[in-house]
Amino acid sequence: MDHSFLNAKKILLVDDEPGLLEMVKTILKDDGFQNIVTAISARDGINVSKTEKPDLAILDVMLPDGDGYLLMQQMRGFTDIPIIFLTAKDTGADKLAGLGLGADDYIVKPFMPEELLLRIYAVLRRCYKEDAPWVHLASCTIDFSRAEVIKKGEVISLTAMEYIFLETLARNEGKIVTVDALCEALWSDNPYGYENSLNAHVRRIREKIETDPSKPVSLITIKGLGYKLNIRK
Amino acid sequence: MKSFGKYISKHLASFSLLVILLLFIDVLSFLLAFHNIITTDYGPTSPKIMLEKAANASAEKGISEEMKQALEQNHIWAMFLNSEGKSMWSVDLPENVPESYTLQDVAVFSKGYIENYPVFIRNTDDGLLILGYPQNSYTKLTSNYYSFKTIKMVPIFFIIMVAFDLLFLFMVYFLSKKKIIENTEPIIASIETLSDGRPVSLSISGELFEVAESVNKASRIISSQNQARASWISGVSHDIRTPLSMIMGYARRITCDSEATTCIKDQAEIIRMQSIKIKELVQDLNLVSQLEYEMQPLNKKVIRISKLLRSYVAELLNTGIPNTHSIDIEIMPGAEIITLEGDERLLSRAINNLVQNSIHHNPQGCEVTLLLDCSENTFSIIVKDNGIGLSPEKLQELENKPHYMESVDDRLDLRHGLGLLLVRQIVDVHGGTMQLESKPQKGYQTKLIFPIKNNFKASK
Repeated sequence: MDHSFLNAKKILLVDDEPGLLEMVKTILKDDGFQNIVTAISARDGINVSKTEKPDLAILDVMLPDGDGYLLMQQMRGFTDIPIIFLTAKDTGADKLAGLGLGADDYIVKPFMPEELLLRIYAVLRRCYKEDAPWVHLASCTIDFSRAEVIKKGEVISLTAMEYIFLETLARNEGKIVTVDALCEALWSDNPYGYENSLNAHVRRIREKIETDPSKPVSLITIKGLGYKLNIRK
Repeated sequence: MKSFGKYISKHLASFSLLVILLLFIDVLSFLLAFHNIITTDYGPTSPKIMLEKAANASAEKGISEEMKQALEQNHIWAMFLNSEGKSMWSVDLPENVPESYTLQDVAVFSKGYIENYPVFIRNTDDGLLILGYPQNSYTKLTSNYYSFKTIKMVPIFFIIMVAFDLLFLFMVYFLSKKKIIENTEPIIASIETLSDGRPVSLSISGELFEVAESVNKASRIISSQNQARASWISGVSHDIRTPLSMIMGYARRITCDSEATTCIKDQAEIIRMQSIKIKELVQDLNLVSQLEYEMQPLNKKVIRISKLLRSYVAELLNTGIPNTHSIDIEIMPGAEIITLEGDERLLSRAINNLVQNSIHHNPQGCEVTLLLDCSENTFSIIVKDNGIGLSPEKLQELENKPHYMESVDDRLDLRHGLGLLLVRQIVDVHGGTMQLESKPQKGYQTKLIFPIKNNFKASK
């Protein structure tokens, strides 16, 4: 996956445990993030976010001078950067409290470094879309800004439904998107009764993006689950 | 509760026996107390016998000397009247007793007294024999007549009275039994609940108020102890999370470090894998204790099970599973629209525990299949693998032996993982049941069975 434009983002870490701060910083640096700022208290967090203007904040819920939820509300007063909570509480109520306030994600300790990175990239990608909305597939390129497919010099336009379908898959590049998620995106409903319509859309999209629609290499069916879109780097 | 009713009924027999015994004792004590008097009343000095003897021993002329002595001995006076009402002879006649009587006099005293002496008469061929007993020795009923109807009614009356008494006693017994059960039933039910370690709250007025209060107090103590246990576990699992994150983070860093030797990388990988085990244990432990002590608020909403399973499998595949393993999903016809009102996070957790168990116990690799099936009234989520399976003994152990979380037994062989216990608890709070099936080398499957709510079609 190409994260280079995301790696340029500035990340703020707020946690009262210096050891953990240091470790997360190391993990992020290992993965290519260069601009990392840290704070060890809520007040410190406010100051740093005002002076450094980070693009993403990762907040601990339990801070020595107040909780992370409060810190987020204060930060919302002057910025609307994405916020991820990092906490040792794993009860459902805490999770709801975090997301109910408009947090972008919530990671429960102990976490695996891979998981942390995945969530950070997902949130960054959602909030900071690449300037050029081009997606390169094996045999074509999709231009989302014009809802067009460019295949062997030929320009094929996408219908609204096809656009939503491809856009949903492209946002989750290389990942399986369930039929439920697709049907919710397309019809705001569950897949029951929409199998045929969904299949019809898939067939038409394959004709537009694949060289051989009967042997798809970009839009792959995952049996019983959904679809995924293989994106060329 | 029912056993208590039975217990009371068992005492009905002994209660009846006791009533009979009491009656028997009454009769016996009556006989003992009145025995002497009765024997005197009907004994040799009784008016009946004395009249008989005196009549035989007397004539118009007088009475035998022997009888005379017998009368004197018993302080009885005697008089013999002829048909004109004149005394022919007498024995010990008190001074104030006249010796001549009119017809009216005879009619009056024959039923009662002469000058307060109770008198008894006997008609003989020659005249009327009168015996006078000492004053206050006998009471005479001067008006002893009853209508024939009354006499005829006595036995019926007696039977009705006895029947009524028995009925009344039974009613009193029945009502008191009912009242006792009514009052004790909630207490006994609460004690049963308490013995399961769950809290109760009783409100009873009346005599059993204090008992109810004691039960409530015991419940409060159990609750607060449970709360303390859950808080303690939650506290420990909370404090362990930050250090564990750091161990996992640095262990991974070493495994990716290009300068580290293979040996060091392998060891770091072991640290990482073991840390993941601790992580899972910590998460399960906290949730198990929260569910065990009913401190986990359920975040219930209507969930489409097919969607939940697909999301779970997609996420598992997106984060990656070992190459040796594969996971498949199968939704049976008709099962697509099945919904359940439940906690999505907990159900995903249960399914994840089962899938992870299959992966962990089959390091050589296996195919894991998630299957959603339904019948008339139930639907089932089946997690199965084609791995090494379990021996019948091991399977029985998993099914029957209590987990150490629920047992005070220190035996180490009870200490299998928390994963399955958590699954069972989650299934329990959703009103379902769990079935395990396995044969050696033939794979292992867990079936979670839930009832179908009638309105599931409407909520499509």
